[in-house]
Amino acid sequence: MSLRMLICGCASVLLGLTGCQRADEEAGTAPAPPISDAKLTVYAVNYPLAWMARRIGGESVRVLLPIPEGVDPAHWQPSPETVLEYQRADLVLLNGAGYAGWIEFASLPPGRLVDTARGLEDRFVAAGDVTHSHGPAGEHDHADVASHTWVDPDLAAHQARAIAGAFGRLRPELGDDFRQGLALLETDLARLGERLAAAFRGWPDAGVLYSHPVYQYLDARYGLEGWSMTWEPGEDPGPAEWEALAARIADKPAVVMLWEGEPLPETADRLRRMGIEPVVFRTGAAAPAAGDFLQLMEENLARLVEVDVARAGGDH
Amino acid sequence: MKDILYLAWRYLVFNRWKTGILIAALTVIIFLPLALELVLDRSSERLRARAADTPLLFGAPGSALELSLGALYFSGESPAPLEYAAVAELGDTGLATAIPLHLGYRVGLQPLVGTSPDYFRFRNLAVAAGRPLALSGETVLGAAAAQALDAAPGDGVVTAPESVFDVTGTYPVRLRVVGVLAPTGTPDDEAVFVDVRTAWIIGGIGHGHENLEDPTASGSVLKRDDSNIVANAALVQYREITPENLAEFHFHGAIDGFPLSAVIAVPADGKSGVLLEGRYQAPDSPVRVVRPAEVMEELLATVFTVRQYVLAAVALVGAATLATIALVFLLSIRLRRAEIRTMTRIGAAPGRVAAILGTEILLVLAASVLLAGLLTAAAATWGDEMFRWLLLSET
Repeated sequence: MSLRMLICGCASVLLGLTGCQRADEEAGTAPAPPISDAKLTVYAVNYPLAWMARRIGGESVRVLLPIPEGVDPAHWQPSPETVLEYQRADLVLLNGAGYAGWIEFASLPPGRLVDTARGLEDRFVAAGDVTHSHGPAGEHDHADVASHTWVDPDLAAHQARAIAGAFGRLRPELGDDFRQGLALLETDLARLGERLAAAFRGWPDAGVLYSHPVYQYLDARYGLEGWSMTWEPGEDPGPAEWEALAARIADKPAVVMLWEGEPLPETADRLRRMGIEPVVFRTGAAAPAAGDFLQLMEENLARLVEVDVARAGGDH
Repeated sequence: MKDILYLAWRYLVFNRWKTGILIAALTVIIFLPLALELVLDRSSERLRARAADTPLLFGAPGSALELSLGALYFSGESPAPLEYAAVAELGDTGLATAIPLHLGYRVGLQPLVGTSPDYFRFRNLAVAAGRPLALSGETVLGAAAAQALDAAPGDGVVTAPESVFDVTGTYPVRLRVVGVLAPTGTPDDEAVFVDVRTAWIIGGIGHGHENLEDPTASGSVLKRDDSNIVANAALVQYREITPENLAEFHFHGAIDGFPLSAVIAVPADGKSGVLLEGRYQAPDSPVRVVRPAEVMEELLATVFTVRQYVLAAVALVGAATLATIALVFLLSIRLRRAEIRTMTRIGAAPGRVAAILGTEILLVLAASVLLAGLLTAAAATWGDEMFRWLLLSET
């Protein structure tokens, strides 16, 4: 080995090693930060929450509800891309009470989630008490509680207060605006509650049925003592369900059945022949085609007051 | 000059074993203190930076060092669990953003970290390929983890069972890789990230199986009545969470009681941090709060004390080695008396002979310095990882 070769070899290795620093970080896309401009960006999991957020926040918030039209928000499953949109929100409004099961399995920042039903646990209504057991874990249930809390205006007001509180914590400088929006909303909800109470007067004695188990909080609030089928508005319930209904009303008569949507004409006719008046009471979980939540409830009220429960039972 | 260099070089090449041993001895005594200083400085800088970037850590009462090493470097034993309720509790204070961490599981040899999207923002982790986490059952890999597992977006990786001898332990769960992070030179590179809920499913707190309330459910159902359904233990549980079976997954019990290893608290400002610390200082508090920077300073103070002893030992050994080398050169001159006499007789001036001998010594020294430099450069490149591995690896 020559002297020159030795020196050159060593120098190149030294230079190579010292130059061999960690490669620069590749340019990539950082997980999107929350959208932060003057307006709060708020995502909701159902329409009533979105409506309340708009009423409270006014022009200071941008409320988004990326649920496709015609899809029930309770059973919606967002795409990963939509979940990433939710991750970018300043706040994500959850209904709580187990509503929107997708929340359980979506990666969302806990600090930006607002469980609007938090604190209402003692007023939750059980929606099913079926437990199951298998293997060493033993018996367990899935904590099924009724989730359509907002149909009780009093609970809706609690949820509205949770929303206003979250807005205020994030934008304290707009606290007065939010409080003003909340006060107006609470007034509207209180008035709605009173009118619903008036509309439901006399119903518990007449007997109430529900086409679907989504009215538990309405039932609890106004003491309707109704019971629920699992019928879809656009489908014929089938002979077994009709038989089950006949057996139930033989045991406990009912004269009114609340429906989430317009039942099939033949279903409505058959119910009337059984002495049961079908009445559409939309919960408003999904955004209405026109108007807002209050207008939807006004329409519900108009249909309720049309029903003369004393007469509806008398025809049977 | 060239002839002096040539003669000295030829002598060293001719006595290559002796020269090699001399160079090796000198290299070691130059390299050791240099490398120790360099590696310790760089490593402690990185360890400090990671700790300083993490303002507060919440964990169950126990070792602060274990909590910090686990939450910052995903190493050591998983800290004692605290309840998920701590996250909501911290959030309710309005003083800090709470980032949950669930540690303890592995994919191959890579640590599995269950967390929330805030973690990636907090650590400035960029997705180099694919997309961030969105749903349970998905994973985003650190750059080194992706390399170690030979996985890319679209692939699947399987969690390691906690113990092959524990038949009641966690089942392996297949995770879908949806993204790979850009390298950061931090422990995040080694990690396999999942949402904290996925970590709970891996731990068996949540599971998925066919809907037993469906009357057409499988033959696993032993008994069914109005309020209870009993299935046998052979009921097949899903081992992969997919968009199709996601709805069949569920957790048992209230989420607030589910376990976490630690919670990173990012206070809104310095005052909020102090207020938070104050709230959890009570001796009977079920949650412990630590400042990782302080914990790491304590650890590094111990390491630096050890360094002083090591340097003192190296200095002693170095002095002894130098004395021995000087002796070798002196003895060598005596042994080369005939050679020196020959050089003088053929006309070499005494100064010329001394120059040749001096050049030999200089060449040995130069080679040693060069080699020590090479080794130090290598230590600068890989040494801090070695140090971190030595300091933080599970033993």
